[in-house]
Amino acid sequence: MMKDNSAESFDSLFVKKRNGLKIFIILFFLILLAIIAVYTYLTIGAVRERMEKAKMKVEGAAPVNASLIDLMKDKAWIESRLKMASSDSIGLSIDLEQHLIQLELKGVVVMSSKIRESSISGFFKRMDGNVYFDMFGSPLTIQRFESSIEKNPLRVVQAPKDTIAAAAAVAIKKDSLQDKSVYWTVKLDHDIELNIQGIDSISEAKSKYKLGKGFEFKRDVKNILNSFQQIKKLKKPNYTPEILISIPENEAKSILRALPRNASVTIRI
Amino acid sequence: MVRTFLIYMALLLVGIIFFASMILFAIPALQESAFVLPGVSQTRTDDGNAESQRVSLDKEVQKLQVKLDKFTPTNAYIIVNTSDNHFFLYKGKQLIRDGKCSTGKNERLTFSNSKKEYVFHTPQGVMHVQSKQPDPVWTKPDWAFLEDGLPIPPPGDASRYEKGTLGKYKLVLGDGYMIHGTIYKRFMGQNVTHGCIRLLDDDLEVVYKTMEVGSKVYIY
Repeated sequence: MMKDNSAESFDSLFVKKRNGLKIFIILFFLILLAIIAVYTYLTIGAVRERMEKAKMKVEGAAPVNASLIDLMKDKAWIESRLKMASSDSIGLSIDLEQHLIQLELKGVVVMSSKIRESSISGFFKRMDGNVYFDMFGSPLTIQRFESSIEKNPLRVVQAPKDTIAAAAAVAIKKDSLQDKSVYWTVKLDHDIELNIQGIDSISEAKSKYKLGKGFEFKRDVKNILNSFQQIKKLKKPNYTPEILISIPENEAKSILRALPRNASVTIRI
Repeated sequence: MVRTFLIYMALLLVGIIFFASMILFAIPALQESAFVLPGVSQTRTDDGNAESQRVSLDKEVQKLQVKLDKFTPTNAYIIVNTSDNHFFLYKGKQLIRDGKCSTGKNERLTFSNSKKEYVFHTPQGVMHVQSKQPDPVWTKPDWAFLEDGLPIPPPGDASRYEKGTLGKYKLVLGDGYMIHGTIYKRFMGQNVTHGCIRLLDDDLEVVYKTMEVGSKVYIY
C-alpha cells in the first residue's frame, strides 16, 4: 500500500514537472518570437528612417531624368576624381560598374586591382538620382579606420644593432602576415561603411565565413550586438549602408598601407 | 521520462538555432530587400529635352576625361609599390619595364645614451628626379656609423666615402632619397633599405636611361 502511494505521488510529481517544462518551452518560444518581431520591426524602421533622412536632404531638387542617369554618373565620377587629383595625397577610386579599385596620386592611377566580388546594401540599390549625387557627387573622406593588420608597422631598434638582432629582423621582414586575414573597414562621410577584404579565391572567402574567421562573420556579430544594445535602450538600431569589396590579399594589404588615414574616396555604383 | 526530457531539450535547441539564424541571416537579408525600401520614386523619364541634354552631357564627359588624362605624364615616370617592393616604369600609358625593388625598412633607430633617432622609411607621394649620376660614390651619413656603434668621423673624412655600394647609377630624388643599385641583391623584394629605392643592375640601367631630370616618381 505504501509502495503504491509512493509510486502514485512520484508519477504525479513528474506530470507536474513535465507540465512545468512544457510551459517553460512554450514561454521560451513566445519570448524568442517576441524578440525577433521587435528586432525585425526596429531594424526595418531604421532602414526606412535612413532613406527618409537622405531624401529630406535633397528635397526640392529637380528630379533626375532616368534616361540620362548613366551619363550623369559618368560626369560625377570624373569630376570627383578631378577634385581628388587636386590634393597631394593618395586617394582611392572604386568603380563598381567596371569592377575596379584604384589608388590615385595626383590624377595618376598608381595601382589598379580587379574586384573579385562585391556587394552593396539594398539602400544603394533603391536610392534615387538626387540621393546618389548628394552622396557620391564629390569625394568622400575617411572618418575612421580599422584593420586586421597593422596599418603602418614601424619597428623600434636600439643602436648599435648586434648581428643576431639584425638577422632576426630580416627573417621577420620576409612575411609576417601569411596566416593573418587581411581586411579593413573605413567609415566615410554620409555614414557609409566601406569594407575591403583580401581573398585569393571565392571558396577561401566562403570557408573563412563558415569557420567564423573571416571578416563578414565578425562584422555581422558586431552589428547584431550593437543593435541589441540600442534596442535595450528602446532606441532604433543604427543602420549603416555598406559596400563590401573582395580583392586579392596582397593588393588589399598594399592599398591599406598606402592609404592615408583621412584619404579621399571616390565611388561609382 | 528520459525520452520526453530529450524531446524538450531538442525543442529548446531548435528554438535557439531558429533564433540565431533569424538574427544572423534572415533579418539582415530582409533589411536589404525590396520589401523594406520599395523602388526609386523620384525618377522622371518623359523629358522632351532629353536628347539635347544627352549630347551636351556626352561632350562634357569627354572634356572632363581629357582633363583627367592630362595628369598622366607623357614622358617617362616610375611607380614604386613599397608594400610589395615592386616598380613599374611607364612612358605615357605604356608600361616599359617592371620588376622587384627594395624600399625602406620602416624602422626607428634609437640610442640608449641620447634622444636622437632616425626613421628609415620610403616616403609616399610624388617626387622628382633632381639629378642623375653614373658610378656614384656613397657619402655615408651619420646614421650609417651610429647604427654600427662606430664614432662619427668629421665631414670630408675618407671613411665617409664608399665606391660601388650604390651600384652603377644613382638618380637623386631629394631629402637624401635616391634610386640606386645594390650589392645586397639577395634582399631584393624586401623592405630593407634606409629609405632609398634599390634596383637590380639591369633594371637600374633601363630606369637610368629612360628617366630624365624632372621625371616623376610616384611612391605608394
